[in-house]
Amino acid sequence: MSSRVKSKQANQVVRAQLAREERKRRLRMITLIAGALIVIAGFIGWGIASAQRSTKAQTPTGASSDGVGLIVGGNGGKAKVELYVDFMCPHCKTFEESAAGTLDEMMSSGRAEVIMHPVAYLDDASTTDFSTRASAAAACASDGGKLNEFSKALFAQQPAEGGPGLSDAELITIGRGVGLGDDFAQCVSDKKYVTWVSKVTNAASERGVRGTPTVYVDGKAVEATVQALTAAVNAAQ
Amino acid sequence: MDVTSVTTHVGAWARVRPWIGLIARVVLAGVFLFAGGTKVGDLAASGRAVHAYELMPYGLATAVGAALPFIEIAIGLLLLLGLATRLAGVLSAVLLSVFIAGIASVWARGLSIDCGCFGSGGELAPGQSPQYGSEIARDVVLLALAVFLVAYPRTPLSVDAYVLGDVVLEDDHEQQGEEQASQPGGTRATGA
Repeated sequence: MSSRVKSKQANQVVRAQLAREERKRRLRMITLIAGALIVIAGFIGWGIASAQRSTKAQTPTGASSDGVGLIVGGNGGKAKVELYVDFMCPHCKTFEESAAGTLDEMMSSGRAEVIMHPVAYLDDASTTDFSTRASAAAACASDGGKLNEFSKALFAQQPAEGGPGLSDAELITIGRGVGLGDDFAQCVSDKKYVTWVSKVTNAASERGVRGTPTVYVDGKAVEATVQALTAAVNAAQ
Repeated sequence: MDVTSVTTHVGAWARVRPWIGLIARVVLAGVFLFAGGTKVGDLAASGRAVHAYELMPYGLATAVGAALPFIEIAIGLLLLLGLATRLAGVLSAVLLSVFIAGIASVWARGLSIDCGCFGSGGELAPGQSPQYGSEIARDVVLLALAVFLVAYPRTPLSVDAYVLGDVVLEDDHEQQGEEQASQPGGTRATGA
């Protein structure tokens, strides 16, 4: 083999080596950029969520002391009944309807104070975030002093899952039906308590409320049946 | 004769492999983009879905739930572009393994939740029962695709191939530098 051929071969080896190193350098750079992109993406999400959480929510005037519930009635009652409900949830409707008389009696006799936490767990079950809008409307009804009446009327007209739910106009009509006026209509149209509902929902999740309806009596979870509710309230007298 | 048949076999695998990789990339990209896209509109709900697994304190769950959709979308974009495919494959495999472990742990503890894989999760919609088995099966298939990309990250129609100057769809001896060294002036076994 002549020296010329040898040096040509050596050149080839060197060139191949250089090409491999250049390739490695580029691969490192790509990987670094991509890795940074992922990390940045994560922080963007975290930042947006933090900003959303710190958005100031207006608290309804009839809110419970923790700020994330509405006093239905029975202020100063012996037991404290807390109801986590979603107006989209069929089981909440059946529970509310079966327990309505019992709850009304407990409130009027002073045996229990009833607090409603109107959450929005089921926004996905309608195409218009009906859960959020309905819960916000309940807060508006609380401002108007007719939460109990509005809640009953709203459950009675619970929309089907997977559809558009009820429009704000329909919510207002239901409100007017129980004697709520223009302030209520304005409150619903302005989406005044939508941010507050998000706070209520997050607080419920933080407390470990995984589904609706969830019932607490004096801070203890109770099965969502009239019997269990009555027994727990009786025990608290 | 034996040698020839083995060579042909390897050649066929080398020709098919990049295309399998491309399919894996696109499928995984689609799943991650969709999964992230359904969650990104309601980050609070995403946080609640993570919290429903009861695996971490609420504050951490909300942070993870907020970051996750964006990370999923970012990984989906990397896969779609074929940019840093091996890294994207590794991260996909890690995420999917965490998802599988999370669902398995929920199943084992007898919790009844929506996995929140696509959309907000947490509470099951009324009348729904958990689908842990099929969710895990789906994630295992996706995990296999991710592992494939980690093993064979070089795919056609990728930014990687463009930037690195790789010729993905040639025969074996073009695949890696180390292989090239053993075949100086390598002769082409088959025509392109």
